Amino acid sequence: MLSNYLKIAWKVLLRHPFYTFITLFGISLTLTVLMVLTSFLDHLFASHYPEGNRFRSLYIALVLQTDSSQTTMSSGPASFEFLKKYAKSLKTPERVSIFSNFSFSNTYVHGKRIKLNTKYTDADFWRVTTFRFLEGKPYDENHIANAEHVVVITDALRDEYFEPGAAVTGKYINIESIRYRVVGVIKGSPPTRVYTYSDVYFPYTAPKSNYENKGVRGRYVAMVLAKSAADLPAIQAEFNNHIARIPKAEIPDSKQYPVLIVRADSFFDHFLNTFVRSDAQKLIFYSVAALVVLMIMGLPAINLVNVNVSRILERASEIGVRKAFGAPAKALLFQFIIENIFITFIGGTFALALSVLIIYLINSSGWIAHADLTINFTVFLTSIAVCLAFGLLSGVLPALRMSRLKVVDALKA
Amino acid sequence: MIRHLFKLIWNKKGAHSLLIIEIWASFLVLFGVLAMIIFNLKNYLRPLGFQYENVWNIELSANQDTVAVGEKLERVLKRVRSYQEVQLASQSSGNTPFSANQIGNSVSYKNISTGGDFYYTDDQFARTIAMPLTLGRWFSHTDRASKYQPVVINKALQEKLFENENPLGKLVKVSDNATVQVVGVVDIYKSRGEFMSDIPAVFQMVGEKDPWNSNILVRTRPGTDANFEARMVREIAAMVPGWGIEVGYLKESKANRVKFTVIPVVIFLVICGFLLVNVALGLFGILNLNIARRKSEIGLRRAMGATEGKVTGQFLGEIWVLATFSLLLGLIFAIQFPIMNVFDLNSDIYIMAIGAAIVVIYLIVTLCAWFPSRQASRIHPATALHEE
Repeated sequence: MLSNYLKIAWKVLLRHPFYTFITLFGISLTLTVLMVLTSFLDHLFASHYPEGNRFRSLYIALVLQTDSSQTTMSSGPASFEFLKKYAKSLKTPERVSIFSNFSFSNTYVHGKRIKLNTKYTDADFWRVTTFRFLEGKPYDENHIANAEHVVVITDALRDEYFEPGAAVTGKYINIESIRYRVVGVIKGSPPTRVYTYSDVYFPYTAPKSNYENKGVRGRYVAMVLAKSAADLPAIQAEFNNHIARIPKAEIPDSKQYPVLIVRADSFFDHFLNTFVRSDAQKLIFYSVAALVVLMIMGLPAINLVNVNVSRILERASEIGVRKAFGAPAKALLFQFIIENIFITFIGGTFALALSVLIIYLINSSGWIAHADLTINFTVFLTSIAVCLAFGLLSGVLPALRMSRLKVVDALKA
Repeated sequence: MIRHLFKLIWNKKGAHSLLIIEIWASFLVLFGVLAMIIFNLKNYLRPLGFQYENVWNIELSANQDTVAVGEKLERVLKRVRSYQEVQLASQSSGNTPFSANQIGNSVSYKNISTGGDFYYTDDQFARTIAMPLTLGRWFSHTDRASKYQPVVINKALQEKLFENENPLGKLVKVSDNATVQVVGVVDIYKSRGEFMSDIPAVFQMVGEKDPWNSNILVRTRPGTDANFEARMVREIAAMVPGWGIEVGYLKESKANRVKFTVIPVVIFLVICGFLLVNVALGLFGILNLNIARRKSEIGLRRAMGATEGKVTGQFLGEIWVLATFSLLLGLIFAIQFPIMNVFDLNSDIYIMAIGAAIVVIYLIVTLCAWFPSRQASRIHPATALHEE
């Protein structure tokens, strides 16, 4: 019975290759666009190398000073002192790391210039992140306490400054006229992980790190690693408590900006907070995002419904014949459901192949260095389900109407 | 005829409702994407207003050093100017060409007030980046002695503040309640790259031994390479130990800026293109089926003496009426953008986008209806009527 329906479905698909093409095109391209998009968002926001613990991490990256009515504001990263005092001292988390936002530098070798992203970190940075060391080890508390001139570099910089693949631990690299000893080489991360991405990592006691700066604002960011994701609210509460107890005298410009807002946010919330400050703006952001998704999904869905409705109506005579030979309405419905599932799965297979190809192309094109986009199968299955729902809606409703049609009318058409 | 077509479509509005929604949604998507493209394209077509080839940007940061920063900066600038390979060098605030930085302030003249970008530079700036003046002159050291600090403005600001008056010598107020005097006008200066819109700009002279504006723009002689750069950086580092020194080429930072604008546009274009192709194919399929089902009607009309052209015209007319319905619906939404000045864009950008979107929609529906209606009109009346 089932194989019979599949055979019919296949024949119907072949009878009108053009409509089959339209339907398949709609299904597979919608799925592909959705999958590539989500895989990109997943790349940006989910836990990936080297921020493999992002799901249980909080980011303290923005200090906002404002007046009580929030008309004027001034914001930026925090100072090392501030974070040491109020973030490093947290009791609930497993670990807290403080490191600088990236800055730039140049190094010169054989008459060639290499542009560098630089970052100053503490020793905990290497425990909070999941960097993979190709050789050597990270610098530790001793290196920092002695203010040693040591660095950790990425494989890409090693290949450019030394020789590709060479063992370089213990060798020296010259950056801004200071010699640094390389203690470790790590596998580089994509620049889209803005907080951990860099080419060179210095201990925060290295020259030019500005970690002694007093005041609230500076260039440092803290990453708080919780023991488990369930601890995150407790950490946030503890941190908010710390912030609330900061004496007014410690805040510069407290006359002009009496309100100090510092939050420990999960990565996505933190990202959102840099764009939208109020709940009203958040609502706008979500509605715009929903509208975009609705457009991407909705237009092809309406299309699918339209095409399917037309196709089913075209098959009125076939339905008439089947009814005339005694097929019950249930059997007819079942047949159309099978047919729709069949075509949706064909489209899904195409989409999967296409997405794999596109994601492979993005990863290997160097468009994002070290990109590691992957297919998210939860999203794939959800979108297949949505397509199925639309397919059924568009196929079954007219089929149902048809199956209730009187045989005479159906045959006449 | 048109009234008749409207009646035909209106009678079947239920059957057509999905089609109308589809065209309506496509129109809105198109409108959004076109507005973005037109905005960027309009900006792109205007010149940058300056030359960036062979210009380097040296970013200095004093870090922990707080002693006599201004004097040290001046010494570094003098040293940079003394190199053979350097043609011109100029001190500038952090919003150097193609950087992401922006310094915004307000400027007012009489009772007109407007916001603008502020650039703090010295007397060599215009020559370093080869920016021509259309009126007046660039400021010089000697202006430091004059009663009012001199500023150079751009044409966009001139038009906003002075309209037809001659701006030279006029006194304007800047946000920190200082009064400055306009001494020159430049045509255009798009510091954030080709895709920036031409907004009001004010160039103000940095103070003597100013410690804050620590960027140095350097115009090098053609053919200067990284060996010189390495030497210069080494020598500056020896002069100001502990300072951060970063050299960037404007050419590279420009390419970077372009990437930031172009990538989102390309992503939106790809998605929009996919949606439109999808819609077009769907429309084509539906029209094909619908028209094929009306064979008997076509046969009858042909038998009554209607020409092929007339039959095609009817189907095209029907789809146009349908598209017009949807577009009117879409216009109700789209027209809000120019009226309410959403996103602070010029209303003419929105209006152009609406116009372009309407044209594209009509084009798509015409293309999709053309082939099936041509085919249908060629049916011989005898065959069509016989089937019935």
